[in-house]
Amino acid sequence: MSELPEYVVDREFDAPREMVWRAWTDPELLARWYGPGVETIIHKFELEPGGVWLNEMKWGENSMLSKVVFNEVAPPERLVWHHHSATDSQWNTISNPKMPDWPRILLTTVTFADNGSRTKVRLSWVPFEATDAEIACFAGAMDGFGKGWGAGFAIIDELLAELQAEHT
Amino acid sequence: MEQIGYAQSQPNLDAVFAALADSTRRAILSRLANGQASVNELAEPFDISQPAVSKHLKVLERAGLIERDIDEQRRPARLKAENMVAAVDWLAEFRAFWGTSFDQLDDVLRHMKQTQAKEADHE
Repeated sequence: MSELPEYVVDREFDAPREMVWRAWTDPELLARWYGPGVETIIHKFELEPGGVWLNEMKWGENSMLSKVVFNEVAPPERLVWHHHSATDSQWNTISNPKMPDWPRILLTTVTFADNGSRTKVRLSWVPFEATDAEIACFAGAMDGFGKGWGAGFAIIDELLAELQAEHT
Repeated sequence: MEQIGYAQSQPNLDAVFAALADSTRRAILSRLANGQASVNELAEPFDISQPAVSKHLKVLERAGLIERDIDEQRRPARLKAENMVAAVDWLAEFRAFWGTSFDQLDDVLRHMKQTQAKEADHE
């Protein structure tokens, strides 16, 4: 079997590790930052292997449901979960309505490392129990971030400017 | 609780990503961003044959990233922006999700530190 594509994001936070861990694992705090500019409602949060985090994001008339199943909870170092990017109203996993071949489940690993009074956080995503189409979709999309999307984004900027000019 | 608000018809983004995964094809798109071009014109700057360029154009056409005239002899290729914008939007959304969330987490942590400092003062 060939190696699965992995996408990694690193970020450093100006707070000690215990505090960062708390912000990730206390649902009241988590709801305050998870999800960009949306209202995040955490319907269930069971921080233990096999436990679930049922999440709703609301903006305007829109609502989007997703589900996390925890695999590993090792405070304050490591969280591993299966991220189900979209669910129906009964919290059953579905394909992403916006992008059918996006992996339905991403194995997500979050690691927290001390760096003096700061904390380094690494997030990694790998497709889980994915079809070939899902793996290809994820690899294609994520590859874009690393290689060559710079050029792609530059083209898009030009195109968007053009389209906007047409519409006004 | 209904899932609402999704755009109904989405282009085949998977084909778009596959098409964009190749550097020659990205270069071709880049060239087409400056205006339509024929296979000959597109082959020129690259060290590849016209048939190879034609093959790349087919992939781009299937992904809906370009369109070509049927009647004209030289069949110039032209960029179709919408699918590309949709693909980049998707990636930008994924990236913005974490980028913006992390900025919000910065604020939450700052607030937690302030609260902790205040509590320490009172002790």
